[in-house]
Amino acid sequence: MRNKIVAFLLIAAFAFGAFGTFNAQAQEATLLIWADDTRAPILEALAVKFKEEFGVEVRVQQLGFGDIRSQVKTASPAGEGPDIFIGAHDWIGELSKDGLLEPMDLGELTEKFAPAALAGFTYEGVLYGMPYATENVAFVYNPEIVKEVPADFEEVQKLSAELVASGVVKYGFVRQSGDPYHFFPIQTAFGGYVFGYEEGVGYDASDLGIDSEGSIAALKWFEGMIAAGLQPAGVDYDVMHTLFTNKEAAMIITGPWALGDRLRPSGVPYAIAPIPGGGKPFLGVQGFMINAFSKNKELAKSFLLDFVAAEDIEVTATGKDGVERTGTPMALFGFDRPSAFLPALEKLEDPDLIAFGMAGAEALAMPAIPEMSSVWQAWGNAVEAVANKQVGAEEAFKTAAEQIRNLLK
Amino acid sequence: MTTGTLTQRPVGTPAIPGVVTLIIRYIGLMIVDAFALWLIFSLINDGIWELAVAIAAITLLVNVINLRPQLKPLRWMSPAFALLALGVIYPIVYTVYVAFTNYGDGHLLTKVQAVQLLERRTYVPETGVRYSWEAFLNEAGEYALWLTDRDGNAFFVIGQGELQPVSGEIPETYQGFRRATRAERTRLLTVAASQQFGPEDNRLSVTRDFVAVLAPRYRYDPSTDTITDLQTGTVFVGNDTIGFFIDKAAYEAALAANPDARPNDFIMRIEGFPAGVGYRTVIGFANFDRFFNSPALRGPLISIFLWTVVFAFSSVATTFALGLLVALLMQGKFVGRRFFRTMLIVPYAIPALISVVTWRGMFQPQFGVFSQIIPGLPNVFADGTLTRIAILIVNLWLGYPYFMLICSGALAAIPADLYEAAQVDGANQFQAFRFITMPLLLVSIGPLLISSFTFNFNNYTLIAAFNDGNPVIADSPIPAGQTDILISYTYRVAFSGQGGADFGFASAISIVIFVIVGTVTIMQMGLTRRWEEVSRNV
Repeated sequence: MRNKIVAFLLIAAFAFGAFGTFNAQAQEATLLIWADDTRAPILEALAVKFKEEFGVEVRVQQLGFGDIRSQVKTASPAGEGPDIFIGAHDWIGELSKDGLLEPMDLGELTEKFAPAALAGFTYEGVLYGMPYATENVAFVYNPEIVKEVPADFEEVQKLSAELVASGVVKYGFVRQSGDPYHFFPIQTAFGGYVFGYEEGVGYDASDLGIDSEGSIAALKWFEGMIAAGLQPAGVDYDVMHTLFTNKEAAMIITGPWALGDRLRPSGVPYAIAPIPGGGKPFLGVQGFMINAFSKNKELAKSFLLDFVAAEDIEVTATGKDGVERTGTPMALFGFDRPSAFLPALEKLEDPDLIAFGMAGAEALAMPAIPEMSSVWQAWGNAVEAVANKQVGAEEAFKTAAEQIRNLLK
Repeated sequence: MTTGTLTQRPVGTPAIPGVVTLIIRYIGLMIVDAFALWLIFSLINDGIWELAVAIAAITLLVNVINLRPQLKPLRWMSPAFALLALGVIYPIVYTVYVAFTNYGDGHLLTKVQAVQLLERRTYVPETGVRYSWEAFLNEAGEYALWLTDRDGNAFFVIGQGELQPVSGEIPETYQGFRRATRAERTRLLTVAASQQFGPEDNRLSVTRDFVAVLAPRYRYDPSTDTITDLQTGTVFVGNDTIGFFIDKAAYEAALAANPDARPNDFIMRIEGFPAGVGYRTVIGFANFDRFFNSPALRGPLISIFLWTVVFAFSSVATTFALGLLVALLMQGKFVGRRFFRTMLIVPYAIPALISVVTWRGMFQPQFGVFSQIIPGLPNVFADGTLTRIAILIVNLWLGYPYFMLICSGALAAIPADLYEAAQVDGANQFQAFRFITMPLLLVSIGPLLISSFTFNFNNYTLIAAFNDGNPVIADSPIPAGQTDILISYTYRVAFSGQGGADFGFASAISIVIFVIVGTVTIMQMGLTRRWEEVSRNV
């Protein structure tokens, strides 16, 4: 009796198990998209429209922007990842290393995208994403205090000293600490670089420029600012913007994300200009990527190329900021950054976004090579060590370069 | 534990309630088994053997316990056993296993997953034609395609029928079909996997960009562990030592010419896999080797280890001291005692992460409250010693309510007659505290002190949230911070190294840390045993 029951049990369980596996495969084609809290509301509005017109269901899941990268890596191999996800172009080196990205071909749409944005999403000659927006920092100043944009960073220092001496402000120019991203434009203004870059080839990991002459000159300039008492300590994003809002600082380097978040609500007059001294900021590109493990790749491509990039579809979406906007999908995605889609960029009316776009005309795509993750920390540490007066500028960047070479070995 | 009631039941008694429980038990077991089987199937499908085997073993154990009458006393424990095995034992075993593998970026997939990914790729064979396509639809919802090849030749194909040559502009209607809209064209792709057109010898697949005969691009042969690129004919062989597929012929030729040729130079690189088709594999002691020979070890490890010990020890000492002091004060009777006790627990009730970030804000050199009330306070975050002191203060705030609560309870448990006896013997307050309270308290609190030490030894949240281990150690050969403890340093080393995450390396380091913490704990256990001896003599 007992044996029979056990046998029955096993068979039933087996059937359950087999049914479960079978059932998982027999689902209708739908698309799953992962997006952050800024893009998810737009995508949800698009999903409704897509279902209406194309008859295909699209589900949108909201994740933290940075979490998308790590979650894609965990979930995709297990078959639970999204079909499409949004992300930054500098993830592609790492994600393609794991084989998680589906190469893309934009076909005749290629010429409708900003070449710099496409270059950002291209790795070793292959395009891995469809960009929707670009971002870069610019020189932001208070036009009531700063009458004329300084020509280079030596002028910035001179002006800072004058403003502080005359008691107009507590600090002139204030740099956001915590990451070297905001230091890079200063570094390039002095002729420094991180990795050698060759047009059409990309970054050369063997040519490290952290301890190049220009880079060290930039850090020496910064050291001079600190020695002259012109730089407050421990300035993160919040502190920098509070100083600017309180008119305690007159010049900062920040990006379009600060517009809706800080600059506009504060009511403080601001103006946006290119980085002094011809400094080149990093260009960040955001875009859609297709998961190599997706079972609906063709549908995902069609969603992006035939629907999101379509110019004859208008959607109304309420953004994260509660404002309702109507426009083509690509125009909606470019509401807070310069769009990477030229038809949407041409229609851009926001003067601030246009100014940020102009400041980024010469921007360098943030390196997507996997080696970059070894660089950020050592590089940032060096700048902080100088900010904390722990070491001299030259020694700091020499040490950082050595650390990076150790890591890249 | 008795051997169960089964044997105590008189033989032959009708087991009516037994049948109900039997059925419930079997149904429950069935659901568990079904779920486990489904899980095992899908795990094996993905080549995640470790977890599949673990779940199979646990399920088997649960079944045996619930089906064998002799094991009846264990039945109610079986869910706990299963969870213990899955939630505690398996992760430990798995961490040890991962430490011996190359699991991480570049080797994220199992070999099975990597092969699956490649086998899904297709290509248009040389003899094949690439058509651009327009979809047509009839009343019944059947699709037809209007195909145009590069030379302008057009064909019309209905379902899996023959290709009919057609010419001229693409019409709006044709043979009872009307031209599909963009939306309908897209909808065809939802069933693209099963949607194939044309006769059997010329079966066309639909993709968004074109229609063509598609052939699988790669074929995997498990017996030789080789992948053949059917388009180019190149054969790649899995190299389990490095965890990459490599170009077989090129490597063998190189090996014949030069016995020192490295397989790493012949890695299979393809579109979408530019860094090489890598997979997870066991690499022996390489991770440990890398750790013990890395600049990470030659560098700041000793100073980081010392600070870790100082941090953990000081944290326990200060929180315990303050907690005990407050508990002693709360023993007295005074107005508002309850109120104060509630307020004192507040730091414990607020999530630690929020407290840490708040404290960080208070130390902020521009707007922080401390720099406002203490003129001339230097930037705390720029100075290693000051940051360390600040961290200990924050941890004191976070940790003392715990010891206050524990000590209150333990103090209440000390018999009052001991103090009376001490008073009779003429002992003063301090002596009573020193010779009665402390020894008895330490007996019950000792293990908690150890667990608190272990917790703080690995208190990543505090260190990372307060100042991310900074300020930096300026002359370290690899990035490190002055307030880094071992665990936050591990994180730096493992996740900021050669591009992305390296789980194998991180696991190896955590095993080394485990050995250190384990040694310290065993030494401390010896110490508590001494306390217990003291208590026996009281």
